[in-house]
Amino acid sequence: MRILVVDDQELNRIMLKYMLELEGYQVFHAEHGKHALETFKETQPDIILLDVIMPVMDGFETAPILKDLAGDLHLPIIFITSLDDQDSMLRCLEVGGDDFLTKPFDKVLLSAKIKAHARTRELSKRLLEQRNELKYYQNQTQREHAIIEHIFSNAFSKNAYLDEIVSYHLSPASMFNGDLFLANRSPLGGTYLFLGDFTGHGLAAAVGALPTAQTFFNKTNEGLIVGDIAKEINAQLLNLLPDDMFCAATIIELSNSGKAISIWSGGMPEVFIIDDRTGLRQTLMPQHMALGILEDDEFETEMVNCDVTPHDRLLIFTDGVTETMDPQEVMFGEDRLAEYYQAHPKAELFELIAHLDDYRGSSEQADDISIAQLKCLPATDNISQPNIPIPLLPWKIQLKLLPQDIRNTDPVAQVIDMIASFQGMEKHRSTLFLLLAEMYNNSVDHGLLGLDSKLKDAEDGFFEYYIERQNVLERLDEGFLELDICHLPNQHQIRLSITDSGKGFDCERLNQILNQKDQHGRGLKLISELADKLEYKNQGKTIEVHYSLV
Amino acid sequence: MSLTQNLSSDGSTFTIQIDGKFDFNLVQDFRAAYQQVGTNKPKLVVDLRNTEYMDSSALGMLLNMQKNLGDTVSSITISNCRPQIKKILQISRFDKKFIID
Repeated sequence: MRILVVDDQELNRIMLKYMLELEGYQVFHAEHGKHALETFKETQPDIILLDVIMPVMDGFETAPILKDLAGDLHLPIIFITSLDDQDSMLRCLEVGGDDFLTKPFDKVLLSAKIKAHARTRELSKRLLEQRNELKYYQNQTQREHAIIEHIFSNAFSKNAYLDEIVSYHLSPASMFNGDLFLANRSPLGGTYLFLGDFTGHGLAAAVGALPTAQTFFNKTNEGLIVGDIAKEINAQLLNLLPDDMFCAATIIELSNSGKAISIWSGGMPEVFIIDDRTGLRQTLMPQHMALGILEDDEFETEMVNCDVTPHDRLLIFTDGVTETMDPQEVMFGEDRLAEYYQAHPKAELFELIAHLDDYRGSSEQADDISIAQLKCLPATDNISQPNIPIPLLPWKIQLKLLPQDIRNTDPVAQVIDMIASFQGMEKHRSTLFLLLAEMYNNSVDHGLLGLDSKLKDAEDGFFEYYIERQNVLERLDEGFLELDICHLPNQHQIRLSITDSGKGFDCERLNQILNQKDQHGRGLKLISELADKLEYKNQGKTIEVHYSLV
Repeated sequence: MSLTQNLSSDGSTFTIQIDGKFDFNLVQDFRAAYQQVGTNKPKLVVDLRNTEYMDSSALGMLLNMQKNLGDTVSSITISNCRPQIKKILQISRFDKKFIID
């Protein structure tokens, strides 16, 4: 404890210093107020003993400045006075004095007073420390809130949807929503929606939002069915969240044509299908438990499928909507919601929100209110594959396949994977597969195995044909196929040819096949539609196809 | 697993989803799948969202299925086709025999 004695009389200073040092205090002194102020920073006193009448600057003037310098920390000031008249005592208190010490000094009284003021000084120090600590935590919390807000807005910023199809409204009860709305387009042009309600609000709920959003966007970009998306998110949340946290959710996919929806729903209120002519047409009940509860092997992916028309729209909401209370604490409920749409079948989302606000009146919003609306309209844009230019690089792939290769490998898929890895070829992948697969199957079935497509005509023949093919292939021990695929950059063409070691056939038969209307020969007809040119050469042992890349 | 089947929880839709390659390698699995449609006359959906490849044997299998099921299903829809797959179905005039969504 550091004590500053401010007194113009040397005798007083020496006496006080002596007495206080005996008690174990560190003592500094100043000759007048100004001197005390000048040395304040250096001495950093915990308690001041201040004389009233001094030259240069007296005690009355010095006291308030000292208090200022001490800032938020309480600095006890004890006036040294020989005056015992009430007026000056009162003034001492007015200027910030905390106590008096009268001359001549009483050792016992001095010791007791200093101890008492040392205690208040200590208390004040501790208080200030705690206040600073609190401030630190408050800053930290504010920073965390800012981070969460950032995370949420990032999660939402990935949302992709067509405005004419999707609208939504989120109104959090606390600063952060426990509700999460996500939307994305499918690679096929359809629309996915996710509306989830985490247990709790704030940070607790936000923790689950991030992995949920990530999984949702990854899996919708892959075009998964909603049941499988739910399964993926469930596994994520089960892994991450504590046992008492989970997420009620509805996941919906609307097909590109706008004619079909599929829904996975767990722990959420029912989904309404509203016809814009007649109001509520159907309610779809949730089928499952919320996400993040069941183990992966117990999880149920069953969905509800529904045919819809352009008159329909889907209303997905969290329980905050139906649990909205009016001032008499009566819940809005599903029936009122249904009645509202019966009366206003064309109502837009904002009109429903206004209706809910009216209903609530002056009462507080108790829970997050989240509603999403999906109009069952066909997607108006075309999902097109990116047009990546094909480099002018000529290449050629050649393979010779022996019977064991044909039995044990899947050469068509592997060759197509190879071709698709060339820049710009991805968009031709499925068509090239079809061409090569038809050529390959024809050459294997008819060139090498000598199978007759007429087998397929019999009842159940289609099935038997493939059993027979399997059997003959098992026994095949001679012959080969030669595959030859090349890219001709100048002609923007891929040429595919397959030569078999079989007997060949009358090439004229090709024309007959192409003109047939029965089941077999369908493959060759497809080739001739998709390719520029289909040709049999080499007495029917070689089939060659030209496919144009432009 | 390249073929999965799924009856919707209300029992009204039977979905067969084919992932990756739809060709004669699936001939037995595919037949086994559609023979499980049951007696409730559901709507059958062949979901091709994850079908990258199909060839003429797949077309044959679809036609065979239609012949086989007759009116044990209320309708057959081929849904979620990628553009190149859709093109194959259109070239083969499958839009005359199936609902292609």
